[in-house]
Amino acid sequence: MIELISYGAFFLTVALTYAITCLGLNVQWGQTGLFNVGVAGFVGIGAYASALLTTPDDPVRLGGFGLPIIVGWLGAMAAAGLLSLLVGLLTIRLRADYLAIATFGVAVVVQLCALNLEPLTGGPFGIGFIPRPFGWLAEDRMTFGLLNLGIVAVTTLGVYLGLERLLRSPWGRVLRAIREDEQAALALGKNAFAFRLQAFVIGGAIMGLAGAVQAHFIGFIAPENYVPMLTFQVWAMLIVGGSGNNRGAVLGAVLVWAVWAASAALISAVVPPEAQARAAALQIVMIGLAICVMLLVRPRGILGEVRTVSRHVNEASGKK
Amino acid sequence: MILQALMNGLIAGTMIGLGAIGITLTYSILRFANFAHGELISWGAYAALGVSSALATAYAPLATPIGPFSFGWSLPIGLLASMVLTGLLALLVDVLLFGRLRARKSAVIILVMAGFGAALTLRSLLEFLVTSKPAYFTNALQIAVKLAPGLRATPDQLLSLAVSAILVLAVHLLLSHTAIGRAMRAVSENQQLAALAGVDVRQTIRIVWLLGAALAAVAGVMAGLLVQIRPHMGHDLLLPLFAAAILGGIGSVPGAMLGGLIVGLTEALAVQFIGAEWRAAVAFVILVAVLLLRPQGLFGRPA
Amino acid sequence: MNADAALSTRGLVAGYERDLPVVRGVDFAVQPGELVVVLGPNGAGKSTFVKAIAGIVPVFGGSVALGSDDITCLPAHEKIARGLAFVPQTENIFSTLTIFENLELAADILPRPLRRERIASVEAIFPDLAKRPNLRAGQLSGGQRQMLAVARALIVNPRVLILDEPSAGLSPRIVAEVFANLAAINRSGVTIILVEQNVKAALAIAHRGVVLVEGVLRHEGPAATLAHDPIIAELYLGIAPPAKAEA
Repeated sequence: MIELISYGAFFLTVALTYAITCLGLNVQWGQTGLFNVGVAGFVGIGAYASALLTTPDDPVRLGGFGLPIIVGWLGAMAAAGLLSLLVGLLTIRLRADYLAIATFGVAVVVQLCALNLEPLTGGPFGIGFIPRPFGWLAEDRMTFGLLNLGIVAVTTLGVYLGLERLLRSPWGRVLRAIREDEQAALALGKNAFAFRLQAFVIGGAIMGLAGAVQAHFIGFIAPENYVPMLTFQVWAMLIVGGSGNNRGAVLGAVLVWAVWAASAALISAVVPPEAQARAAALQIVMIGLAICVMLLVRPRGILGEVRTVSRHVNEASGKK
Repeated sequence: MILQALMNGLIAGTMIGLGAIGITLTYSILRFANFAHGELISWGAYAALGVSSALATAYAPLATPIGPFSFGWSLPIGLLASMVLTGLLALLVDVLLFGRLRARKSAVIILVMAGFGAALTLRSLLEFLVTSKPAYFTNALQIAVKLAPGLRATPDQLLSLAVSAILVLAVHLLLSHTAIGRAMRAVSENQQLAALAGVDVRQTIRIVWLLGAALAAVAGVMAGLLVQIRPHMGHDLLLPLFAAAILGGIGSVPGAMLGGLIVGLTEALAVQFIGAEWRAAVAFVILVAVLLLRPQGLFGRPA
Repeated sequence: MNADAALSTRGLVAGYERDLPVVRGVDFAVQPGELVVVLGPNGAGKSTFVKAIAGIVPVFGGSVALGSDDITCLPAHEKIARGLAFVPQTENIFSTLTIFENLELAADILPRPLRRERIASVEAIFPDLAKRPNLRAGQLSGGQRQMLAVARALIVNPRVLILDEPSAGLSPRIVAEVFANLAAINRSGVTIILVEQNVKAALAIAHRGVVLVEGVLRHEGPAATLAHDPIIAELYLGIAPPAKAEA
């Protein structure tokens, strides 16, 4: 029973870290229509930034300032936000697909840096001993698991509520106006580029946060965590759950992660060891097909888009 | 030393260029960046391998190396078969996916996403079918020929260069001097007007897919012959392909080849002077430079 | 179906969205050899009407016939093969192709032996185009573009030629030239349907005019009559018709 709860907590915790990434992606795609194909890079940079800030000092490596976890998380958001700012300045004014190609390249380069800049990132071995929240309780697996789940859940909820509020605010309305009818928005004097850039940076920062949260939960990171596979998973989650919809982002994350974990378990249980790598490839085929099929059949995802005008509308519309 | 690096870069560059031509054609005529193009390169290589191996097994003399080259007739035949098969694969993906999204007037970005999903599916499917172990067209060893002091090339490599040059010329002539080439350029500029002028747009699109896929298959066979065949080979080329196509200017065939050569040469020089581990970053740096300095590329027109 | 007509429509309903048709049931016919002008205020649906005939705007109801053949559902590239040529108002030439290539492209759908001859005869009508065949069409002036656009449409020797506001954006002298050309083309036997805002110039070369208002055909008549019809003045210039005598 304890095993089940422990596993459940673990599963849900990881799923929610993906949910945070999805929420960030939703700001970029669902709200602003920017196609970021390098999600893994932004998540990775957040993870590494946080790791460098919070790990204890290591003679082999630069960084390791031993700062508190919360500083690490804020640093992660700053690093990812800065990267998003640079990428956004370069590409948002250009064609939509140039942004896609550029972000694809960013992820490749981020992973390459993680691999090659050994003095900074520990190279292929990555960074270990990343402080875990309630780390001193790690022996008691169930309590540790539930407490961590609690932290991640609270963080996810915080990001979700923050974004929902942002959506219904004047800022969110302008963003939506720009997405739906840019000419009209421009005629109203709104600087479309500035709004898009802000949205891109906010989304990127949230992805960085997700990377940090994940890093501190697992305790170690390596370049092979931040590969295109991560980007595909997150996109599948957003497309399946409902792009443009924060609830959909969270739902998609949990759902797709559940299918992923279940199929992985199935493969390791049923498939003989020699064939497991091949079976894993089939898992990925499944994700790719899910993306294609959803785009064809229900591009709005399971939950579709929630059209909101203002958080005041419901109050004012006579719900006395 | 540097001369050899340049030769390596030239050869890599022509492969990138062939792939980039396919990308630039589909990009300019179908109006979207096709992330699945890399997979056509990989499938092209494996299709050629499959046909070539089957032929060699069925009739051993086909495997005997021709002249100074490392491969027998089974390979060129396999290549031709692969060009057709890869073309059919591209058409299949268009019919199932891109075509349907186009019919629905989906936004460009949806097409790009679909390409991304298709790439993932195709790559992993390939990996499932053939595993990720590297494969080779031939086990025959090649003696490099000395061309100049410090410069050697194998007959296979020289043949690749020649084939690439011929193909680029052929595609350029196709676009500039034939009816189908005019049709492609017309569709690329204004699809609706092309239809009014009598161009069968759907047929033209089909031909673009076939042509792009055929070139990808050639690039795949070259890369497989000169380096190795792996399911991820196309995906690894994707960033250099896009960089080359954008550098050359979307829609320009000579531009795509020139872009490919520049990317290939720069990569080779970077490997020489900075280290092989940073090779993958070169294409990105070139891409950023182009987007910053001249987004329309060398031969493109300013937006 | 009006089988004698060069082109006819019956109850044509067309537009960009099914719930909001712009063309709301139009019966129209043009006889072989006629030059008919389609007039009407802005937003009346004149452009949409001819675009629907040409096959680039969705048709939601009714039918279009070329002669006695129903061509309502034919794709655009097959309509020109049947002899229906359309010159859009804007973006009507390929700027990235040369002048000659624009004409070659149009000729590509003809049987090989005919191509050279047709290009030559069109160049004879527009000698300016033959002067610099390798010039990129994007470098032409507005008036020259219009000529090239019409030339392109004429290559296939169409039975019916439709033009959408060919005078738009052109100076009066060029407009006169364009209209003179159209009149000559019509005299050589090509049936022409002309959508125009330049009422005076258009009616001067036309046989007949029809007036489209809010997607429906309201008036028609011989060109000479329409030119003096107060309705036209009201629609275009906002001049109120003389007050009716009250009983």
